[in-house]
Amino acid sequence: MASLESASASATTTTSDLSIDEELNLHSVGWQPVDLVSGVSVFSVSMGIWNWGQGEITGATKAHENAFSHAIERLQRDAVRAGGHGVVGVHIERSVHRSHVEVSLVGTAVRPIDAVPIGPDKIFTSDLSGRDFSLLIAAGWQPLGLAHGSSFVYAPRRQISTVLAQQSQNIELTNYTNAMYVARETAMERLQTTALALAGTGVVQVQVVEGPMSFASHAISFATWGTVVRLRGDAHRRMDPQMVLPMNDLHVAFEAATLQ
Amino acid sequence: MTTVSTEVHPPGESGSFSSGLSVADFAACLDMGLEPVGLAQGYCVMQSQQGLSPMQVGFGMSPYQPAPNDYVENYHCPHGIVSTEHRMWGQNYQQAWIERTWRQGFSSAYKRMLDEATRMGAHGVIGVVDNVTPLAQEGIVEFRILGTAVRVSGHSSNAAPWTTYLAGQRLAKSFEAGFAPLNIVTAISSVRVWASCITQYVMEGTGAMLYGQSNDSIEIEQIVSARAAARELLRQSVKAQLHGDQLHSVELVLREHEFGHGDLEIQPVLRGNRVRRYKDFDAFTTPRPTVRLT
Repeated sequence: MASLESASASATTTTSDLSIDEELNLHSVGWQPVDLVSGVSVFSVSMGIWNWGQGEITGATKAHENAFSHAIERLQRDAVRAGGHGVVGVHIERSVHRSHVEVSLVGTAVRPIDAVPIGPDKIFTSDLSGRDFSLLIAAGWQPLGLAHGSSFVYAPRRQISTVLAQQSQNIELTNYTNAMYVARETAMERLQTTALALAGTGVVQVQVVEGPMSFASHAISFATWGTVVRLRGDAHRRMDPQMVLPMNDLHVAFEAATLQ
Repeated sequence: MTTVSTEVHPPGESGSFSSGLSVADFAACLDMGLEPVGLAQGYCVMQSQQGLSPMQVGFGMSPYQPAPNDYVENYHCPHGIVSTEHRMWGQNYQQAWIERTWRQGFSSAYKRMLDEATRMGAHGVIGVVDNVTPLAQEGIVEFRILGTAVRVSGHSSNAAPWTTYLAGQRLAKSFEAGFAPLNIVTAISSVRVWASCITQYVMEGTGAMLYGQSNDSIEIEQIVSARAAARELLRQSVKAQLHGDQLHSVELVLREHEFGHGDLEIQPVLRGNRVRRYKDFDAFTTPRPTVRLT
């Protein structure tokens, strides 16, 4: 792998998965795309941890957290190699299996026009689109990195007597609800912790993926991520958006597609 | 190689044109001064050389030996002889024959589409769509590329047409932004993972139980390395086609097939538009945000 990486390090061409609109937006705030970059990580999960238990499934949580962190680190290293100052539009693909957790990140490295390369500790990563990144910069804010948090929690099984007593009732399954809330609280706390570690004041575009897993019906997973932001100056710059009232007809009287 | 007859009546000769453009893209095309002349198409059906599986090259004996410049990484068993079923080695290797088949199939179909567009007197082909689909039986794939051949109104063409996946307003914006389309670029890389004993056991979840590892999760180095290598090979393949130009609107599709625990075939495909700047960016003011009241 090392020889592969050194072979492409000298390349000077630009690749980008940004649309023309996004690139124009980037240029309007003085930034340009540099290269398509990626980071992947796969962590193992020990056999048997999805079975009966109580509380958090720490092995799975640790695997998820580590896979996310390692993938972000690799994405940053790739961006440094490309001469970027940050990565925007990061597509996040994650999957949790019985035996392992995978995280794959792909985005476009960007930098201020004609800027010189910087060190890996200053590279930001963000899942904001080129348009949202430009808007953020124009409003006086800056992205600092991807924050993430996850938690896997057992939903305790009910006693047989409880199951029998409840089977003909409309009743909340508090074991699942409680597990969901525990997972949610823990994951959101981890999200905040990673955001604070990046010296951010907030997290935008937070995504939440939660629910049971097909191979572990008595476990709840909760994963969340978003872009950490901080004000660059003293105050937020008001954008004062202009109100627009489109005059198009609400109902389309003639649909060209019907001719096909 | 047997010559394939691709002689068909070029669209446009009959007097009416054909086009794959939507009504909106068609209107944008006319606004740019481009008139559609016909739907150019190229096809090629390829049979892929059968790859060698580690089983065939000697499971338990020696790893596969790829060509000198191909990517390969070997992983050796740290346990010694355990049983006849225990894997003594694992390997990540580049399946160069798959990449060659893909390149040959795609470039043949692409060239046939281009020839058709040239015969129509086109300056370019816009709104290109390509598909690679299995055909007839395992190992046979069909490459199909089509796009709308266009010419600049009132001008004739002697040069090979340019091509782009873009059409309509997105193509118009690309011109406005100072980028002229050159050609579409596609690339594939193919990496096969033959899991080592450790990779196999951690992927099936029995690593800790069988080999006394702690219950802590560990990073599965062989899989991570294969995925990173597949992306890197793809990137190198693309860069080799750019010749210093830029690649816009890239689409990366990740395909992966798992044969068994840790035995994977990783095949990312990348598509994009090779463009060249023909003028500097015009001064672009910060876009004014708007809020729709509907």
